[in-house]
Amino acid sequence: MALDDAARAALARAVGTENVIDDPVGRRAYECDGLTGFRVVPDLVVLPRDAAAVAAAVRACAAHHVPFVARGAGTGLSGGALPVADGIVVSLARLKAVLDVDPVDRRATVRPGVTNLEITAAAAPHGLYYAPDPSSQQVCTIGGNVAENSGGAHCLKYGFTSNHVLAMEVVLPDGTVVTLGGDSAEQSGPDLRGVFLGSEGTLGIATSITVRLLRVPETVRTLLADFPSVEAASDVVSDIVAAGIVPAAVEMMDTLAIEAAEEAVHAGYTVGVPAALVVELDGPVEECDVQFAQVKEICDRHGCTRLHIAGSVDERAAIWRGRKAAFAAVGRISPDYFVQDGVVPRTRLAETLTRIRAMGEEAGLRVANVFHAGDGNLHPLVLYSAAAGETDRAEALSSGIAELCVEMGGALSGEHGIGTDKACSMPTMFGEVDLATMDRVRRAFDPDGICNPGKVLPTPRLCGERPGRYRPHPLEESGLIERL
Amino acid sequence: MTRATPTTVRPADLGALRDAVLDSAGTLGVTGAGTAAAWGGTLAPVDTVIDVGGLTGIITHNPGDMTVSVHAGTPLRELQSALADHGQQVSFDAARVDVGATVGGLVATADGGPAALVHGTLRDLVIGMTIVLADGTVARTGGHVIKNVTGYDLAKLMHGSYGTLGVVAEVVLRLHPVPKATATLAVDCTLDDAAAHAGRIFDRPLDPAAVEWYSTGSASGTLLVRMEGTVDALPRRVERLHSILGAAADSGAWDAHAAAVRGAPGQAVLRIGARPSRLAALVGSLPCATAAVGLGTGVATVALPADAVADAHAAVHAAGGTSVLRDRPDGFTGPAWGPPPSAIALLRSVKRTLDPDGRLGPGRLAPWLQEDPR
Ligand SMILES: Cc1cc2nc3c(=O)[nH]c(=O)nc-3n(C[C@H](O)[C@H](O)[C@H](O)COP(=O)(O)OP(=O)(O)OC[C@H]3O[C@@H](n4cnc5c(N)ncnc54)[C@H](O)[C@@H]3O)c2cc1C
Repeated sequence: MALDDAARAALARAVGTENVIDDPVGRRAYECDGLTGFRVVPDLVVLPRDAAAVAAAVRACAAHHVPFVARGAGTGLSGGALPVADGIVVSLARLKAVLDVDPVDRRATVRPGVTNLEITAAAAPHGLYYAPDPSSQQVCTIGGNVAENSGGAHCLKYGFTSNHVLAMEVVLPDGTVVTLGGDSAEQSGPDLRGVFLGSEGTLGIATSITVRLLRVPETVRTLLADFPSVEAASDVVSDIVAAGIVPAAVEMMDTLAIEAAEEAVHAGYTVGVPAALVVELDGPVEECDVQFAQVKEICDRHGCTRLHIAGSVDERAAIWRGRKAAFAAVGRISPDYFVQDGVVPRTRLAETLTRIRAMGEEAGLRVANVFHAGDGNLHPLVLYSAAAGETDRAEALSSGIAELCVEMGGALSGEHGIGTDKACSMPTMFGEVDLATMDRVRRAFDPDGICNPGKVLPTPRLCGERPGRYRPHPLEESGLIERL
Repeated sequence: MTRATPTTVRPADLGALRDAVLDSAGTLGVTGAGTAAAWGGTLAPVDTVIDVGGLTGIITHNPGDMTVSVHAGTPLRELQSALADHGQQVSFDAARVDVGATVGGLVATADGGPAALVHGTLRDLVIGMTIVLADGTVARTGGHVIKNVTGYDLAKLMHGSYGTLGVVAEVVLRLHPVPKATATLAVDCTLDDAAAHAGRIFDRPLDPAAVEWYSTGSASGTLLVRMEGTVDALPRRVERLHSILGAAADSGAWDAHAAAVRGAPGQAVLRIGARPSRLAALVGSLPCATAAVGLGTGVATVALPADAVADAHAAVHAAGGTSVLRDRPDGFTGPAWGPPPSAIALLRSVKRTLDPDGRLGPGRLAPWLQEDPR
């Protein structure tokens, strides 16, 4: 049932007519997020100017049984912000105020449309920063980060979005406004804040978010090391961990990813080596000195063929540029690609990568790997050519890899979310009863099923449909953000 | 309908736990080691008590992945000593771990200790869980990897649920290396001075592992600052800290701190959370017999005269904080919780969906949950 006139009028009253996008061309701009293979044009888009208008819009949706989908910057990679048929999109793009930065209690309160990097920019004058660092951080919003429980390269040591959000003001699907969380980690009853974090926009809309800020580390040490095999590089990761070192970041790239990155940004990686590791330590100078020496020794022990230590801020930036460019750069060596986000236990990294290589060979497709090795979060890129008719094969390989991660004792998604993309794979990780229990919790928040319906949990309708091919996000094509 | 003496069942495995829930009728209480039996709202008389103390032991420990799964009735101190053989730990040090608290009980009460400054509480360390609902549903959430956003995180619902939403059966935890070296500096000072010291510490890149002040009676008390690191580097970091605090080393004082958190029998022990910068003044305004104050975490535990509890709840609430009563004198009938959170209707909705008959933990979240939803 399409949106009726009464619902349209109620929504216009809620946010103001001038903040409604009704024309087909305008609406089309919201038809997909970063998972561009899925597209649905929403019936209406509203762009509330303040939190009260968000609540009013949601109340109007509740009164008229209109499904709604919250949207931040639209960089999500799992189709979480994909509009739903006969529903509306609530864009948080205009809620961009930084409400408070408190250097004493080391926290900031911001509206959901503030970008991840803008929080750090607001905190920087106080020597503070916001730790979770998705590589889309220049453009992705904190509201989207909250919804996806986003991660980043430095989350190994510092934790994910969920570990950094103290409190949120949330508009529930019935339009009521509540606060989840509080001024400290001490809780009043069950951790509803924790349930909301990572719920992919299905339990309500966050309209204000209070995050913890950390002090900028005293020192940072970064190295880039080449290895004769992916196995050797994996062993280094294991030995670093076994030595009791918790690095700020440990990232791995394989030959194909290195080749693509070098071609794109010339960051000084060695083309042709089977594997490269980026290891970063941060913290007090004395600790970094001791542990950095240990890391170098571990690299040597595993046959490191070249060890490059960043000697300046610029050299460190170059190492990260190469790492972060790898994703988009793959577009240079392949017309199309799918990206996966599965997680495996760290000790099964080498085995998993070997299996992925074999699966790729069997499918006759190349797979590039660039990933968060420290926490086992893979980002295999399945390269293919749609023009050559390889789409179906690539898609099968891609979901096969996600499901392999589950088989290895891991998870379908480490940071990109389930959304529309992986909802149909959920039964490989969870039983029917587990999923039914999750659905019960969802209904406790959203009894009428109007808040981002059809995402996260498998539905017959969704799982009967077939996704289109992956296309790079426009921001990614323009080089503004990188994917990892 | 409620019997005077409840039937106690002690299941030995997950299947038996589910059967115990299914085979019993009426209300259910859950007990572990009993270290927090009196915390939160008083448990109303129940028909059946499920003792999860029989569900113990490590299920899987993957040292290389730094994860462990355990049965919920496992005392955390036993788990810690098994992990210590591998140089690993659960980075969690709530005061009642020392007296035998179980992993499931620590989760259900959302407990925490000084290490929360860096590592958070169990909400941040639990990566997977198996729970049994009041209708016998056995549900799993999360997994065995530290990074995972697959599906809703039901473990968060159990954290702080005081046995009202489900029975925690198995818990998967993220581990950390045991620090190679640890040092504690102690300064005798008032709470206000301790807060000022803490400000200076947090303004510098010293990376303390814990910063707490405690007092066992008089106006004065002791500031404890714990540092963790490598054998080679730690001494120089401690020197830096010493130059600011001018303090003496005293690692034994943590036992006294934990004792202050636990409180003495017969005391009314209130747990408080607030903005760190407001905590010293808040605690200072209360008639505390003993106090332990996390100057970075914003979490304090104080012992009060029983007749001061209601006013203390109000004072904490006025400062924007949250409070819950832990142990209390026999016969105490005052409020266990402060004013209800704004999400109270949502909390009731979650309760209705997961436990529609109101079987689990009646009274624990009183008066917030309507115990009989019909
Ligand atoms: C090139 C590239 C690189 C990336 N790198 C990373 C990475 O390193 N790590 C990582 O974790 N992710 C990464 N991502 C994924 C993406 O950037 C994150 O998921 C991000 O958090 C999404 O934010 P957004 O503002 O774009 O949200 P959107 O895509 O607009 O929305 C994402 C989800 O959040 C919901 N939502 C948005 N705002 C709100 C709100 N206020 N309240 C409730 N729900 C809301 C939406 O309904 C949707 O379900 C990358 C994406 C790209 C394109």
